[in-house]
Amino acid sequence: MDNIIEVKNVTYEYSTDQEIHTAVNDVSFGIERGSFTVILGHNGSGKSTLAKMLNGLYKPTGGDVFVDGINTKDEKEEIEVKRKVGMVFQNPDNQLVASIVEEDVAFGPENLGLQPEVIRKRVDDALKSVGMYEFRESTPHHLSGGQKQRIAIAGIIAMEPECLILDEPTAMLDPVGRREIVDTLHRLNKEKGITVVLITHYMEEAEKADRVMVMNDGVIIDDNTPKEIFKNVEQLKAVGLSVPQTTELLYALKQNGFNINTDVLSIEETAVAIAKSLEEK
Amino acid sequence: MAILEVKNLTHTYGGNTPFINDAVKNVSFTVEKGEILGVIGHTGSGKSTLVQHLNGLLKPTDGEILIEQTNIWDNPKEIRKVRSKVGLVFQYPEYQLFEETVYEDIAFGPKNMGLSGKELEQRVLQTCEIIGVKEEYLQKSPFDLSGGEKRRVAIAGVMAMNPQIIVFDEPTAGLDPKGREEIIDVIFNYRKATGATVIIISHSMEDMAQIADKLLVMSKGELVMFDKTQNVFKNGERLREIGLNVPIVTRVFEALQKRGIEIPCDVFTVERAVEVLKRIKAGDPNA
Amino acid sequence: MLKDITFGQYIETRSPIHKADPRVKMILLIVAIVFIFLSKNFFALGVSVLLVLTVMTASKVPFKMYFKNLKAVLPIILVTSLINMFYGDEANGVLLSFWKITITYDGLSRAMFMALRIILLIIVSSTLTYTTTPNDLTDGIESLLSPLRFIGLKSAVHMLALMMTIALRFIPTLVEEAGKIMNAQKARGADLENGKLKDRIKALIPILIPLLLSSVRRAYELAEAMECRCYNGGEGKTRMKQLKVTAVDYVLSLVSLLFGAGIILCNIFL
Repeated sequence: MDNIIEVKNVTYEYSTDQEIHTAVNDVSFGIERGSFTVILGHNGSGKSTLAKMLNGLYKPTGGDVFVDGINTKDEKEEIEVKRKVGMVFQNPDNQLVASIVEEDVAFGPENLGLQPEVIRKRVDDALKSVGMYEFRESTPHHLSGGQKQRIAIAGIIAMEPECLILDEPTAMLDPVGRREIVDTLHRLNKEKGITVVLITHYMEEAEKADRVMVMNDGVIIDDNTPKEIFKNVEQLKAVGLSVPQTTELLYALKQNGFNINTDVLSIEETAVAIAKSLEEK
Repeated sequence: MAILEVKNLTHTYGGNTPFINDAVKNVSFTVEKGEILGVIGHTGSGKSTLVQHLNGLLKPTDGEILIEQTNIWDNPKEIRKVRSKVGLVFQYPEYQLFEETVYEDIAFGPKNMGLSGKELEQRVLQTCEIIGVKEEYLQKSPFDLSGGEKRRVAIAGVMAMNPQIIVFDEPTAGLDPKGREEIIDVIFNYRKATGATVIIISHSMEDMAQIADKLLVMSKGELVMFDKTQNVFKNGERLREIGLNVPIVTRVFEALQKRGIEIPCDVFTVERAVEVLKRIKAGDPNA
Repeated sequence: MLKDITFGQYIETRSPIHKADPRVKMILLIVAIVFIFLSKNFFALGVSVLLVLTVMTASKVPFKMYFKNLKAVLPIILVTSLINMFYGDEANGVLLSFWKITITYDGLSRAMFMALRIILLIIVSSTLTYTTTPNDLTDGIESLLSPLRFIGLKSAVHMLALMMTIALRFIPTLVEEAGKIMNAQKARGADLENGKLKDRIKALIPILIPLLLSSVRRAYELAEAMECRCYNGGEGKTRMKQLKVTAVDYVLSLVSLLFGAGIILCNIFL
């Protein structure tokens, strides 16, 4: 299997007031090139810390992370690792540097020392790929949260990364903005073949992923396809997560004696499953 | 008895602000004592502008706000008194914390109202008890708390003013499911203990279905619907026209209806859905 | 609104002056200021007036915008010219004299000369801010200061430019945030409008502390985001937008120099 990221026995410890906390505890997994992975977990489950180790922003205190075969601890490759694995954060306001959209998107490529014409092309392409090209001369301050977050994504895409890590990119957005971001990510994944790792606590965003990992207390407690993960309603609730309302409904029906297929997620599929179950009396 | 009456409220922002279209146009509604009113609408639909009028932070360009039959702008000098009658919890309220201890921060509002000494202490402790701020937290710095706890303390700061009406602007924004549930519990507990009227802005139709007695739907600064929650959610088409939607369960029921299954569409919580489907399966014609 | 503070001065009219290179505009501004100061007599100053009028017209910015700026500094203009009025050679005739004050023709003309000069300086400076976005100004300053790298100040120039960029980006965000916090504290009954000075300063604490904390948090998050975008202290950084001197700039320079020559000629021969 061709993995862009390889996480090997990674632990992250930090100390506050003489106490030592373990945010991530001996975690191992690989991220397959071109895949769409969602990491679910409640606040404080260690998912953000884990995310920040995937591009070398944080260095593991135990174990190693490899990006395309490069150890993130290798100081000489620091920039290359960050270029290959881009990262988008929660607050769109706090990751935009310039007060004009296209100049902000150019920030990454400029840091890479590319030629002006190359930067121009990359900036235009990146803005087009997130559907923000027409706003290239606007000021981010006047845009919606979803639009700002798409610009932040464009700023990473312009560095032509292989993998995109997003640390709760939708937590501060309204439903419209959330949809914009999730749709954009799926499109980038399909059309550009960019590997996506989405960290979130919104279950709905995991529906169309290839793979879902569930994190709790610094360890990965489940790693499977979305359908399999959502079957485990009890476990998800136990770790402070909720399931999509469709799953909740099917699960409740099953508990109430319905013979029903709980292996579906979308509204349409759910309706079909219920209809089928109603027919067989 | 109507505790709050909004009559022909209009607010236009002066000057050239072509980017922020958050005006309010001729909005009227009344809220009964003890009700939970949900306010839904797009970002920029005017809902935030609307609620900032309720405690006099914004002055209407036209129209009036009546609290217990009194126009709040009758005496502009006394507008601060309105703020203790109508508490307003902004989005991400934890960013307003500033005192050295949790106790001091919660006491800030009541102190501004003129409370002091034993009375003040009692008020703070009472509020903490109702909404579950642990006593051991009171002498801690609010900045040492976790995200969800900070928000709880910030909300307590407004509740400690004992408002008769309390308004929340997206109280669960940015929280994980557990945090969301906790904050909703806080709101319920407060209402149970004080009988206060609650107004909540939210983007989550599922949450609204569970919490709100009535819904007020805003679009482009206008009030497009104001009715009991179940009646509003019957109008899926209209809601979608203005870029909103009905709860997911309701959408499942709509899909079932489209498949030709005779099924009521006023279902918007999972509990009710299960109940209805059970009856249909049992062959109850009155399901 | 206060939020648009960064755009407070810039007025988009797509005039030729807007299109000119910010560096050229900045240099020409300095040149124009020098010429205005060099104008020794009313004829030379007259040429300066013509220069400024030409620039004002070419900028397509409504004249009333320029006068708006003047209004703000009216007291300074008045005070300066008043002071000038009382000094003058009585030999050239006395306009009026009462008590211990004597106003001479000389003093009056000097006062008018000074007033006109200040007005011209203000208008010509506003032309730069009206026709150049803050971003272009930043780029221009960075480029003009870039020779400093030869004396080992390269990172200083880069830092200054980055600081200006980030300031431009975050001022509106922080202004908006201050407004939000202010509203939140008002909703908690804070009284920001009334009371003695001491109370009002004290009333700012609930606003300043959250604002400070949030700025620190923003700074920290921004630093992480910049690191993730391969920021490396500006080492080997290139720029997408290259400032380019074009025909407009040559025309602009030529026109300015012609006027300059006129001013010098007036100084010498009239």
